[in-house]
Amino acid sequence: MRLDTVDQEYMYSGHVGCPGCGAAIAMRFFLKAIGKRTIMVIPACCWSVIAGPYPQSTLKIPVLHTAFETGGAVATGVRAALDIKGDSETTVVTWAGDGGTFDIGFQALSGAVERNENFLYVCYDNEAYMNTGVQRSSSTPYGAWTTTTPGQEWKRLRKKNIVEALCAHRIPYAATASIAFPEDLVQKAKKAKAMTGSRFIHIFSSCPTGWRMPSEMSVKIARMAVQTNIFPLYEVEEGLRYTINYTPKGYLVNEYFRLQGRFKHLTEGDLASIQEMVNEDWELLRRKAGEYSS
Amino acid sequence: MTLRQTAVNCPPLIIPCSRFTTESNKTGSWRFLRPRYENKTAPCSSACPAGEDIPRIEMLVAQGLFKEAWETVLMENPFPGVCGRVCYHPCEQVCNRREFDEPVAIRTVERFLADTATRNGLQPDIKRLNAKQQKIAIVGSGPSGLALAYFLARLGYESEIFEAMPEPGGVLRWGLPTYRLPVAILKADIARILELGVHIHCNKTITPRFLDEVTGHYDAVFLGCGHSHSLPLKIPGEDLDGVEDGLRFLQKLRQGKEVVLNGTAAVIGGGNTAIDVARSAARLGAKPLVIYRRRQQDMPAFDDEVTMALEEGAEIWELRTPVKIAAVEKDYVLTLQQMEVIGEDARGRARIRVQLNKTEEISVQHLFVAIGASSAEQWYKPPPKKSSTMRLSNCSILPRSQGPTVVFGGDLVADIKSVVHAIASGKQAAMALDNLFQNGFDAIRAGIEPNLVGDGPSLSMENYLGWPRTQSSRSVVHHEDLNTDYFRFAPRIIQPRLLREERLRSFAEIDLKIGTILGIREAERCFNCGICNQCDNCRLFCPEIAVVRDDTTQNRRINYDYCKGCGLCVVECPRSAMTLEEECLCNRY
Ligand SMILES: Cc1cc2nc3c(=O)[nH]c(=O)nc-3n(C[C@H](O)[C@H](O)[C@H](O)COP(=O)(O)OP(=O)(O)OC[C@H]3O[C@@H](n4cnc5c(N)ncnc54)[C@H](O)[C@@H]3O)c2cc1C
Ligand SMILES: Cc1ncc(C[n+]2csc(CCOP(=O)(O)OP(=O)(O)O)c2C)c(N)n1
Ligand code: SF4
Ligand SMILES: [Mg+2]
Repeated sequence: MRLDTVDQEYMYSGHVGCPGCGAAIAMRFFLKAIGKRTIMVIPACCWSVIAGPYPQSTLKIPVLHTAFETGGAVATGVRAALDIKGDSETTVVTWAGDGGTFDIGFQALSGAVERNENFLYVCYDNEAYMNTGVQRSSSTPYGAWTTTTPGQEWKRLRKKNIVEALCAHRIPYAATASIAFPEDLVQKAKKAKAMTGSRFIHIFSSCPTGWRMPSEMSVKIARMAVQTNIFPLYEVEEGLRYTINYTPKGYLVNEYFRLQGRFKHLTEGDLASIQEMVNEDWELLRRKAGEYSS
Repeated sequence: MTLRQTAVNCPPLIIPCSRFTTESNKTGSWRFLRPRYENKTAPCSSACPAGEDIPRIEMLVAQGLFKEAWETVLMENPFPGVCGRVCYHPCEQVCNRREFDEPVAIRTVERFLADTATRNGLQPDIKRLNAKQQKIAIVGSGPSGLALAYFLARLGYESEIFEAMPEPGGVLRWGLPTYRLPVAILKADIARILELGVHIHCNKTITPRFLDEVTGHYDAVFLGCGHSHSLPLKIPGEDLDGVEDGLRFLQKLRQGKEVVLNGTAAVIGGGNTAIDVARSAARLGAKPLVIYRRRQQDMPAFDDEVTMALEEGAEIWELRTPVKIAAVEKDYVLTLQQMEVIGEDARGRARIRVQLNKTEEISVQHLFVAIGASSAEQWYKPPPKKSSTMRLSNCSILPRSQGPTVVFGGDLVADIKSVVHAIASGKQAAMALDNLFQNGFDAIRAGIEPNLVGDGPSLSMENYLGWPRTQSSRSVVHHEDLNTDYFRFAPRIIQPRLLREERLRSFAEIDLKIGTILGIREAERCFNCGICNQCDNCRLFCPEIAVVRDDTTQNRRINYDYCKGCGLCVVECPRSAMTLEEECLCNRY
């Protein structure tokens, strides 16, 4: 793999992310694309811990640790302060988990992007509240075990489509990305950086601990999510113009589910209905992208 | 005053950026699994009797490093021009890419390298060890004898070759037709061997007395005399005038004799000789008819050759065996006994028996017999099992209380009679003799064993000489060890060939040269199983930034201060050039 920005490193070793942490990989790639002139706002999430306890820091850029629900609001404030100082070079980034984005931070995020605040919001999505012990979020997928959807009480509701919710705000740019596709991720981050207004990137970041899977499978599983259409790679401009960035291989979802302990209770029948949901979502996406199937 | 001016006069905006990094946390102490770089063995290399380092050769070609790639071939095989054309490529049969789309055209790339080296007049840098005292006599200049001379020269030994024919090469010179192996190609490969200081005496037939006469002159004698005695049919009429021996016929052609054929030329047999006779006959004007007692799929001839013979108009009559030959006017009337299949042996070959009362007659204008060959003289045969002979996979060694040690090699001892097995034989004999001279007879097996490539029995000279390949582990990479997410489908090169009509007009080489772009493209298809080709995935994906560049040959190392042992690098290595193992408690701090 060749990435022209690959040699720049904005992260230090010695962080306390779990072995194989997809969120750590997501940050590493993202910063290579976004560069040093960045101020990052991190509401409560695993990354609050990974970024290091004061006075240590894992990141080579300034970070503001903020309250769980304030990602959109704090970034608005930082941007305003920089504007007042006449600094248009620095990019303001909010880096939040799925809990902080889909759930508790949604109001602040929706408010900020409705105002088209000039910042980039990244949600690294590990599909539950991992930092506090794997509680379900509205990003947790259908079928998953979490500590709040245990045993036979596994989650029987679908994952919220956050990109759609953002598109409803008609923001300049919204995209999905994956730690298994670094070139795509870096290219999208660079593109977003070059734009103004509210931009949103949704990065699929596997979590070996919360997903009950071997740490070495972290990237492989993220790749499978894309290959199976469970997590398609696409981008949307102005909330309207859809582009699908990866033509899937048409793999079936079973393999993806089989490798993760959080899904081990699912029956063949459950998997068949999940396959149907995935197919349905994919068809919907294709229609939005103007690729009609016969 | 504008809002902006007010702000400028305010105290500066302070964004805290910590000055202390997390690097003081040595998170490597969390680790209970340990990744490391470990090159392994590709299945193709292990299946190549010459043990060529195929994934490295393909990698170097893909990088445009043709001389280095060619030298990597020469490290294990002195005959890239020959093997790039006529090797039966067992490597391709087991290529991991076979399970993905189609195997890499390894032989085509080898030929591309040989052609490129010739075109550019490349001179290889062949590393050699210091000169040794012992001297070896080699009887026969077929591929086994020449390969032995080559490998001995590299190990520092002097050798002399004695050849009965006027030119060296054995079957390569006097058997294989030029449409498969042009003489210039053979000569170029042989010239490179002779340049190492190998002496060759042509037109010199060796007799058994030689073994005793040379005591004191030579420390060992290698017999690589090949199988030149054609087996008889043992049926009435076989001695009729004009019933020709296939091997002699091919030899006649290679000696430049003019031959014209017409009508039907029947060829009895199913080996390489039979097929080459049939194809030669087609070029000389006859319609070839190959008569074989088992099924076509059981023929010992290499599959590609059979396919091309069919393309060139040969007909194959399977499950028939001749029982009588009669001369009727200028023709031969062949009585053929029909055979039937009654089962299969362990190797999948048909077991057959005579079908009672089912015979047929056929009239043909020419008749060639090519049902196999054995050694021409009794003394070429290795002594029976029970003797003091040491039987290795590709040669047998007979220690003698008086006179030089005798080594039997090449076709004389081979289960599969092929050029590359003859080369393997020469290599094994060279290693065996080196061990014999330096450490004694009993040290031979132990001295050879560490140089097996993968599961064996192929041997690596590079390894024997202690050069970089020594660092590869012998475990063989299988398809399931690869991360094929990193590979894309790509069709295998189609070997350009003369048209059927063009082929039949002459003995010109059939397979045409391929250009640089196609050569590189084919080499790029190789997965490089088991060897690091610097794709950098391990460094790129590491969540701990614990893979760092350095100036070792690996170009990177794992920083165990921070590696938590997640194992992700090992899974994301597309080609299984990394290994994850349990951390030894002694490494923890
Ligand atoms: C027609 C034909 C086609 C073939 N096609 C293929 C092919 O496509 N691919 C492949 O891999 N293999 C092929 N083979 C097999 C391959 O050629 C042999 O396995 C290989 O050449 C054996 O090598 P060798 O060194 O043992 O002996 P040979 O090549 O047989 O050489 C023996 C040499 O020893 C000399 N000699 C013998 N006795 C004496 C003596 N007393 N004194 C001095 N010199 C002596 C002979 O003159 C000869 O030059 C083919 C064989 C034949 C016959
Ligand atoms: C208002 C408030 N409620 C609860 C918490 C406790 N808390 C901290 S992080 C976290 C979960 C974060 O989940 P997510 O945003 O998905 O990030 P992850 O830890 O999964 O990376 C919670 C519940 C908090 N810090 N503030
Ligand atoms: S892909 Fe390359 S290294 Fe792997 S088996 Fe095939 S030729 Fe050998
Ligand atoms: Mg989360």
